[in-house]
Amino acid sequence: MSKHIVHVQVNGEPYELAVEPNRTLLDILRNDIGLTGTKRGCDVGDCGACTVLLTLPGETRGRPVNSCLVLGVEADGAQIRTVEGLAIQTPDGPRLHPLQAKFLEHGAAQCGFCTPGMLMSAVALLEVNPHPTADEVRFAIAGNLCRCTGYVKIVDAVLAASGDESAHPAGGA
Amino acid sequence: MVAQLSVVGTRAPRVDGVQKVTGAARYAADILLPGMLYGKIKRSPHPHARVLRVDGSRARALSGVKAVLTIDDVPRVLHAGAPAPRILNHIKDQYIFDTKVRFVGDGLAAVAAASEEIAEQALDLIAVEYELLPAVFDAEEAMQPGAPLVHETDRNLVVPPIVIQIGDIEQGFAEADYIVEEVYTTGRPAPTYMEPNACVAQFDNAGNLIVWASTQGPFMVRGILAEVLGIPVSKVRVICEHMGGGFGAKQDIYQHEFICALLAQRTGRPVKMEYTREECFLAGKTRHPVKVTLKQGFTRDGRLTARQMRYVANGGAYCSHSPGITEVGCWDATSLFRCENFDIRGYAVYTNNPVAGAFRGYGAVQSLFALNCQMDGIARTLGIDPVDFMLQNVVGEGDLVSAGHRLHANALEACLRRGAEEIGWYERHLRPRQDPSGIVKRGWGVGVEMHSSGASPFIKEQSNAILKMNEDGTVHLLTGVADLGTGALTVMAQIAAETLGIPYASVRVTAGDTDVTPFDIGAYASRTTFVGGGAVAKAAADLRTQLLALAAEKLGASADALEVRDGVVFVSRDPGRALPVRDVVKGEGGVPGRSLMSRATGEPDVAHSFAAHFAEVDVDTETGQVKVIRVVAVHEVGKAINPMGVEGQIEGGLQQGIGHTLTEDLIVDPKTGRTLNANLVDYKMLTSLDMPATKVVILELAPDPGGPFGAKGVAEDPLLAIGPAIANAVADAIGVRIREYPITPEKVLRALRAQQEQL
Repeated sequence: MSKHIVHVQVNGEPYELAVEPNRTLLDILRNDIGLTGTKRGCDVGDCGACTVLLTLPGETRGRPVNSCLVLGVEADGAQIRTVEGLAIQTPDGPRLHPLQAKFLEHGAAQCGFCTPGMLMSAVALLEVNPHPTADEVRFAIAGNLCRCTGYVKIVDAVLAASGDESAHPAGGA
Repeated sequence: MVAQLSVVGTRAPRVDGVQKVTGAARYAADILLPGMLYGKIKRSPHPHARVLRVDGSRARALSGVKAVLTIDDVPRVLHAGAPAPRILNHIKDQYIFDTKVRFVGDGLAAVAAASEEIAEQALDLIAVEYELLPAVFDAEEAMQPGAPLVHETDRNLVVPPIVIQIGDIEQGFAEADYIVEEVYTTGRPAPTYMEPNACVAQFDNAGNLIVWASTQGPFMVRGILAEVLGIPVSKVRVICEHMGGGFGAKQDIYQHEFICALLAQRTGRPVKMEYTREECFLAGKTRHPVKVTLKQGFTRDGRLTARQMRYVANGGAYCSHSPGITEVGCWDATSLFRCENFDIRGYAVYTNNPVAGAFRGYGAVQSLFALNCQMDGIARTLGIDPVDFMLQNVVGEGDLVSAGHRLHANALEACLRRGAEEIGWYERHLRPRQDPSGIVKRGWGVGVEMHSSGASPFIKEQSNAILKMNEDGTVHLLTGVADLGTGALTVMAQIAAETLGIPYASVRVTAGDTDVTPFDIGAYASRTTFVGGGAVAKAAADLRTQLLALAAEKLGASADALEVRDGVVFVSRDPGRALPVRDVVKGEGGVPGRSLMSRATGEPDVAHSFAAHFAEVDVDTETGQVKVIRVVAVHEVGKAINPMGVEGQIEGGLQQGIGHTLTEDLIVDPKTGRTLNANLVDYKMLTSLDMPATKVVILELAPDPGGPFGAKGVAEDPLLAIGPAIANAVADAIGVRIREYPITPEKVLRALRAQQEQL
């Protein structure tokens, strides 16, 4: 199968990749770029573990997508944010995004396999709705399955982060 | 015991939390190695067939294919799928590949190729000739004479029937004023861990095998790989850095773990294998569908005189945990509610279904469903409030409970009373019982449970811990326990820090590597905090003694006079005479400080945790839909080492328990043996929108002397009481009882129709 050259920016870093047209964005993120934080849970868009934020050319805001349902070639020219792009690297270690900090503080990550996708859905929510209600949080993460937490502490963590202004674009995250 | 706790009992963040929220945590499928190949398994489309011929020649010829394995290419060693290192009743009934396939999804060949796509194409090129055999899917049918035999055993029984006879059952029934007999059946929920099974295998050039696996028992995987592949244990290293849930199912060895190693051996290259989600359903493990026939005698004043139970577990195609869950399910029916006369029989049955294995609640989910619901029904028959009736009958201190243990540290009554108070149980009749239209009916129900921490006496317990103090006063803990997501390693660090009197942040935990950590039997049976934590507490107490002895020399005081808190050793009566721990152990003048190390083994006897769950439900009598509105879950855990972690276990357990009660069922077509809903849309587990309001109450009333700081297990308890609470609430709402999990809208409507026909 002939390869196509695809240009993407992932977490601000530009990549030029040669990919077969049948390969998914999830596969490319994990296996070509080596960003394995984005998880593969079902390959068919049912579980949400592979959620990333995708900003296509001409779009101004990243929207959460199941990266297993996006072909790599479709992402040509796009900006992509993954869980690895949330924390800011500093000489003292990662400075966590407020959502990450609240997930940690509230025990919202147990096995952690849904966590990257869950975080990206939550980031997308807070960027458009900085102060959601609990029901709005539950709706925003309804496409992200979790088998460990009963979602209780995840909702708590997102609500806690929503009170933190730095979780929103205006706060510079 | 330490009077004032500073680390134990706090909501310490997970030791591995930063890795998990940043995406840095490596799971087995995240391992990327140079030259790595992808392996795939060819699976049977037939539920029962003889494999006459497997031709891999066309697959071998496909460009990019590096190896094809069939029965001729793999060792033929009979082994058990649930080879817990010290389990007493496992049955060896499987080979890597066999001459027969016994369920749709049974693996019979495998390939390794340069890419996953090529591997998948290659599977289609493997030609298999089958001789189809008659199949059997229903456990009762499988026990009939003349039924197709899945293995060559009497009546398809995995093991001889489990028989528990205590007291005099006939006398018990003779003493009864009333006798009730009912049949309860349960569905086939799947653990549905978010991380599909995965492993990576690599041989180094000295013949050492390294396997990265998603497993609850790295030492179990090591032992069985060594045994079946004929490699010394010392040359097998199993690593599990992080895992994405297991819930019991990942305590089995999986076919792909052998195959991955063999493909790596054959090709001389690292090989990765990942299950698809469909494979997780087909070739993972499910809970056992069980038919429980429960007959009890009771007196007019509400005393139970006899309990007879027949427990038939549909085990699927291989043994896995069928004997274990049947034994636990049967023994647990001797506990919970006091009775002196028992006749209990359990049958673990082979069928041509996907393999049923261990899943949180291990056999007890099924028997406690029947027991709790029947108690609720008896209470209604006698006109006694169900909570009062349970309070009257729950087992107490010193009563004989499961497998001959006498109950100590009991808190069943306290759980029931507290839950009733939280949900306003005795005021429920003052609230509306239906919406204004009369279509939606509201009901309240209760379920109660007790569960053992650890698997003794069925499995001999053992966990180990090694502690090393570094020259700066920090500590390295090496533990064999696996953290499948529960927070076990965090709890281990808290126990070590508290016992040693050093800050939580001063403990670094290393786990999940059989080359590095001491032996452990695995993470299951709600045992890790109780047994693994006990080993850590013992090792830490030893290290503390060594530390104080050394500090005594430096402070010129007797060790008995010293205390250590927050990383500082001081003289109890003169706290000004103090030395930071780092100064106790540091070297001076080019001479290294004394190296402090300790080790300990945890092998405690069994303890019991307790819970009462209360549910408030709405039943839509037009659609049959059951909606859980509110749950109160009261748990007695002895001591919550990390309350946030305990809550997390309970809240997550409720998601799974509500699921098996209302929506989750892996459906196998009884004609073809094919699963009809092996995906996450048609297999319905609860999303964030489906969860009810939950109130979790943790009690610490009955600490167990065998557990660290009195702590007991919690992992499985939340799945045991929620189902009956909901089922009883449904019966309360609509006046008709559904004795079949999952309680789907179809079953509700059918029950309502039958009720109307009777009127």
